[in-house]
Amino acid sequence: MERWLEEALDGIASQPVCGYYAGQTPASEPTALAAIALAQHGRSSCAHAALDYLRDAQNSDGSVGVRREETQPAWPTALAILAWKLAPDLRYESCARRGENWLLAARGKTMARTSDLGHDTTLVGWPWAAGTHSWIEPTAFAVLALKAIGQSHHPRTREAVRLLVDRQISGGGCNYGNTTCLGQTLLPHIQPTGIALTALAGEADDAGNITASLKWLSESISEMTPTTSLCWALIGLRAHALQLDQSLPWLQTVYQRVRNTDRSPYKTALILLAAANTTSLTSYHDFEKVTSP
Amino acid sequence: MSVSELERTKANVSTHELSTCQVNRRTLLAGSAAVAIGVSGWSAIRHALAPRAPVFIARNQSYDSRLERTLHDGLVSVGILPASYQGKRVLLKPNLVEPSRKIPHMTTHPAMILAAAEVFRRAGAEVVVGEGPGHIRDTEMALVESGVAEALHSADLRFADLNYEETRWTKNSGGMCGLAGFHFPRSVVEADLVVSLPKMKTHHWVGVTCAMKNLYGVIPGIKYGWPKNVLHHNGIPQTVYDINASLPKTIGIVDAIECMEGDGPIMGSAKWMGLVLVGTNLAAVDATACRLMDVTPEAVSYLRLAADRLGPIANGRVDQRGEAWESLASSFQVLDKPHLQALRPRPGIKVS
Repeated sequence: MERWLEEALDGIASQPVCGYYAGQTPASEPTALAAIALAQHGRSSCAHAALDYLRDAQNSDGSVGVRREETQPAWPTALAILAWKLAPDLRYESCARRGENWLLAARGKTMARTSDLGHDTTLVGWPWAAGTHSWIEPTAFAVLALKAIGQSHHPRTREAVRLLVDRQISGGGCNYGNTTCLGQTLLPHIQPTGIALTALAGEADDAGNITASLKWLSESISEMTPTTSLCWALIGLRAHALQLDQSLPWLQTVYQRVRNTDRSPYKTALILLAAANTTSLTSYHDFEKVTSP
Repeated sequence: MSVSELERTKANVSTHELSTCQVNRRTLLAGSAAVAIGVSGWSAIRHALAPRAPVFIARNQSYDSRLERTLHDGLVSVGILPASYQGKRVLLKPNLVEPSRKIPHMTTHPAMILAAAEVFRRAGAEVVVGEGPGHIRDTEMALVESGVAEALHSADLRFADLNYEETRWTKNSGGMCGLAGFHFPRSVVEADLVVSLPKMKTHHWVGVTCAMKNLYGVIPGIKYGWPKNVLHHNGIPQTVYDINASLPKTIGIVDAIECMEGDGPIMGSAKWMGLVLVGTNLAAVDATACRLMDVTPEAVSYLRLAADRLGPIANGRVDQRGEAWESLASSFQVLDKPHLQALRPRPGIKVS
């Protein structure tokens, strides 16, 4: 293992319960990502504190709030499930199961289709916060979690996959979750595209939306790409067996940038995830090729 | 934009919503007086008691070193002495909703941020730049694409990522939407002054976005989503009003130099105005921005709510400082959509 990678890993292993920035109150998303990163680099034994944090953050209904002290909204629940399923033993199985129950009950709000918006507003995915519309990232996280627990064929997973495909912009890529608005095609962004493509690994798409987004994404990144966007892009491409030769040098560059600036554990965890020698974020789980209905 | 954003913004602000306005002591006193004097005297009293606010306009501006002087003069002319913020915490809130190098006229220019920071720093204030971009989760991307990262680095300015900071719940002082309160980021709650530093733009749902709507960006994405859909589902005009009513002391400094018209706030076209606005009351600032864009302020739903509750929007109650708006107004293109028809005082330029 390269020295910089080992240094990053040691840093996360020593403090896996972490916030978005150095010194910040711990939060569920960076802590879950840290636990997943440790597992993917063979350091699961260092992840218990993170997994315990997520367990302590779990609400009685199975959801996990954004911070242990902030029970709502509960969009990190899917990431917590992913982290628990990577635990070296079965002690978090009940946490994952309760999380699954909550996840399957949570739904984004829909509305009748309108020509003002380009996407299919009737499809159900997951919202950031209860009582609101479904958006790309929480839906993709939920799909990843459901696949990880063997629910690839669940109707909610299938509908969410359709939603993610539908929300890809015609020229490739996606943003937070709108394609066109009042007839205007909107801008794609790297991070949500990477996350959506991670969730769409192994999915068939006759319309070619996934292929177009993969092309757009691979042409949109460089070592100058900001950290979390670059990491999710590499994770998303790798999930489709597109491994860039420059990945590690680029990640080393952004790691040095993080180290010299905000020292964000959240970004460091994502760098580790992007650098992991695995085929996807949830590669511990063998996904079968699923054909969209 | 969200589903509910669409639904809510198309709806007019109802009579019921208007009737739920805050009743303050001044209103009650004025009401008592009106009973005593009689209805005929009421309108005169109401006019005399109605709030007034100053708004400064500077013309012939560009993104250069003279901006700092302009902002200083503007602040002084509206009654803000930067020196009074010595040792105080000042939060500058630019608009970095969805930055793109290809669309620099979408976001507050870095030179505006640096000039505002320098005015307050020279006065001894502790200045922080803070934003919670509404459409992207990668805040570093927002800072890089907008050019603000480089500017912050060059000036050694601290940035507060409002999307991910710890939050404190604050009671909703406006009462127009259904939310009992807001989770404001720590940097916002602890600020002695929040400076809304928007770009003057048209907006495809609500008509105009300027100093008031820019404060959507103090709402943390980690709690409200990307986009901040909880706000949309509670009504854009109502939540714009309530956020403004619930924040600590605010002022507005508007980047109206290179603006956006047409399909704002993201995809519109650049329009050069060369103006800077400064004001102590954001409703008055935004009403003036509307007039400069040839938009009827009363047709902008959140301004209609704010009128005489959060501040004056009537032309006669805004005390113009610096340049008069009348000679500087220029029609901004607005989308040719039914929900935007009322924006124009007369048939204006539309784009399909």
